[in-house]
Amino acid sequence: MSREFLSPRTGHARAAAGFLGDAERAAWHDQSLWLVRQKRDRATALPEWEALRDAGAALKAHAMSRLAALLEQFERTATANGVRVHWARDAAEHNAIVLGILAEANVTRVSKSKSMLTEECGLNPYLEAHGIEVVDTDLGERIVQLAKEPPSHIVMPAIHWKREEIGALFHRTIGTPAGESDPDRLTAAARVHLRDTLLTAGAGITGANVLVAETGGVVVCTNEGNADLGMHTAPIHIACAGIEKIVATRDDLGVLLRLLARSGTGQPVTSYTTHVNSPKPGGAMHVVLVNNGRTSRLADEAMRSALHCIRCGACLNTCPVYRRSGGYSYGHVIQGPIGAILAPGVDLGAHHELAFASTLCGSCADVCPVRINIPEQLLTWRERAAAAGHAPRGYGVLFPVLGWFLSRLDRFEWGARIARRLQRWLPAALLGGRANPWTRPGRALPVLADESFRDWARREGRHQ
Amino acid sequence: MSARDVILTAIRAARVPPAPPAEAKVEQSADLATLREQFLRALTEVGGHGTMRLTGQSVDALLDTLLGANRAHTMIVRGRFAVAENAAVYVDAADLAQRNDIVREERMVVIVPADAVVPTMHEAMRLVPAGPGCGWFLSGPSKTADIEQSLVFGAQGSRAHYVILDADENAATAG
Repeated sequence: MSREFLSPRTGHARAAAGFLGDAERAAWHDQSLWLVRQKRDRATALPEWEALRDAGAALKAHAMSRLAALLEQFERTATANGVRVHWARDAAEHNAIVLGILAEANVTRVSKSKSMLTEECGLNPYLEAHGIEVVDTDLGERIVQLAKEPPSHIVMPAIHWKREEIGALFHRTIGTPAGESDPDRLTAAARVHLRDTLLTAGAGITGANVLVAETGGVVVCTNEGNADLGMHTAPIHIACAGIEKIVATRDDLGVLLRLLARSGTGQPVTSYTTHVNSPKPGGAMHVVLVNNGRTSRLADEAMRSALHCIRCGACLNTCPVYRRSGGYSYGHVIQGPIGAILAPGVDLGAHHELAFASTLCGSCADVCPVRINIPEQLLTWRERAAAAGHAPRGYGVLFPVLGWFLSRLDRFEWGARIARRLQRWLPAALLGGRANPWTRPGRALPVLADESFRDWARREGRHQ
Repeated sequence: MSARDVILTAIRAARVPPAPPAEAKVEQSADLATLREQFLRALTEVGGHGTMRLTGQSVDALLDTLLGANRAHTMIVRGRFAVAENAAVYVDAADLAQRNDIVREERMVVIVPADAVVPTMHEAMRLVPAGPGCGWFLSGPSKTADIEQSLVFGAQGSRAHYVILDADENAATAG
C-alpha cells in the first residue's frame, strides 16, 4: 500500500471515493441508514435507558474480568445438559471442528443463520471447498450469498442492494418472474426457496448472540425465525461463538436483550429470541467456542472494551463515514466504527487506514449500548499506526508544525493571521487544485473571515 | 496443551482486573390492567393481534372471531407469561410436540394466562427455566426488512401472530 502525501488515497479512502462516485446511490444509502438510526432513537426513549447502558457496560466488563471461570462454568453446565462443547484457537481450528462434525454425520448440505463469527473464520468457502453446500437462511444474507458477495453491514447484510437489483438476482438464481421487484413477492419467493432447502439440510449452523454461563445456554435473536427453522429442523445444531459472547447470569442476559434490538433496528425486541440449553430429543447440539485473537485484545487494556460489542450495528447506522462510504470500503468482516477499531487489532499493517476513516465526531460512542469508547480507541490506533510508520506521508512534518502553532495562544493567533493573508495572496489553483491533498472538485477550502472572532470580540468590547 | 487449555491460559495471562457485577435492576411495578394494556399496545406495534378471553368465554368462538372458520396452517400453542414492554410471550418447548412447531405454520396463536404479564425483560428472565430444554420469546410475526428496509411479515415463520390473554386460565395452575 503506497502512502500518499498528507491524505491516504488507497484502501478505505479510495473505495469510499468510488462509492461516492454514484451520488444518487450514496444519498439513498445514507438515508436508508439514517432512518434506522431514527427508529433507534424512538425505541430507546425509555426513562431508564442510560442506566441500562451502564448496566450493559458493567456486565460485559464483569464477564471479561471472569472470562476463564465463566467459560468453564458454561462448559460444565452445557456438557451436563448433553451439549458437546468444542474449543478453537483460531479460524482454521474452528472450521476444521465444524467440518469434522459434519463429516462424521455424512452431512452434505447445511443451513446457516447469521453469524459474523463464521464470516470472520471464512467458514462458507472452507466447507464448500470440502464439498458441503452452505445455504445462508437470513434473507439479506441469502441475497448477498446468491450474489457471491460478503455482507456489507453486520445486521443488514444487503442494505446496499436496491429492490430492482434483488429482483433481477432472484430471477437469475431462484426463478422469480422477470421484472418482479415487489418486496412482498420477492420475500415470499425466498420463503419457498429457503423452506425447500431447509427441509433437506443435515445440520443447522447458527451464531450466538449471547452465551449464558449460569444456564449453559445459547441465545439466538432473529426477526425471521430462520435460525429456528435451521436448528430445530435438522438433526444437528452447531452454534459457533466467540468467547467474548459470554455473560454470567440470566439477569445479565435480560439487560442485553433490552439493549440489543432497540439499538440495532429500533425494535423493542426481535421477533424470535431463542434460548437453547440442550439438544432436542434424539438430536445433537454442539457449541464451538472460538478465540481467534480475542485473548490478545483482552490483554490490551486500552482496547479491551471492544470485546464488549454485542454486534447491534448502531454505530454503523449513525456513522457519517459509514453511511457515505458503504460497508465494503472497510475491507474487513466487521464494518463501520466498531470494525475500524477491531480490524487494526487483527492486522495493523493491513488495516491501519481505518483508524483515520473517522471524523471523531463521537456519535458511535453516544449510541453504543455497552458504552465502548470507540473514538478514544481510534485515536490510540492512530498513535500506534504512526509509531509503526503507517501514518500518511507528510504527517511526520505537518503535525509537529501544527502542534507548535496550536499549543500556545499567541502562536495560534499569529498563525491564523498568516493563514488569512496566505489564502488571499496564494493562487486558487494552489489551495484548491490538485496540489492540495485535502480538496477536490466539489470540496473547496472555505474562505477564512478577514477578522478572527477573537479580534471581533475585542473590538466590539471596546465599543460598549 | 489442548486448545481449551491454551485459550484459558491466555485469558488468565491477560490479568484483567476484577470488575463488579452489574447492579441489580430496579424492579418496575404496575397494576395488571396497565400491564395488559401496555402489552396489547406493544403487540400492535410489532405487527401482532391481541385480545382478552374473558372468564367463561368459549375459546372456539374467540378463535372463530380471530381466524375465521378456516383453521388450516394454524399453530395454537400455550405461552407461559407475557412481557408488557415488548409484547413478547414466553413459549417453552416442553409445551410443544416438537421444537420446530414454533416456525412451522403461517398463523401462530399463543394463549397465555391473563394474570401472567410482567413489566420488562428483567422480571421475565427470572421466570425462564434455567435447566435443560429450549424456549422462546415471541414478539409478533416473522418479519424482515432486508429488501430496501421495506417491512414484510412472514419471512420464514408465521405471517400472522395472535395472542390471547386468557382470564380463564390461572398462571398458578398453568405453570
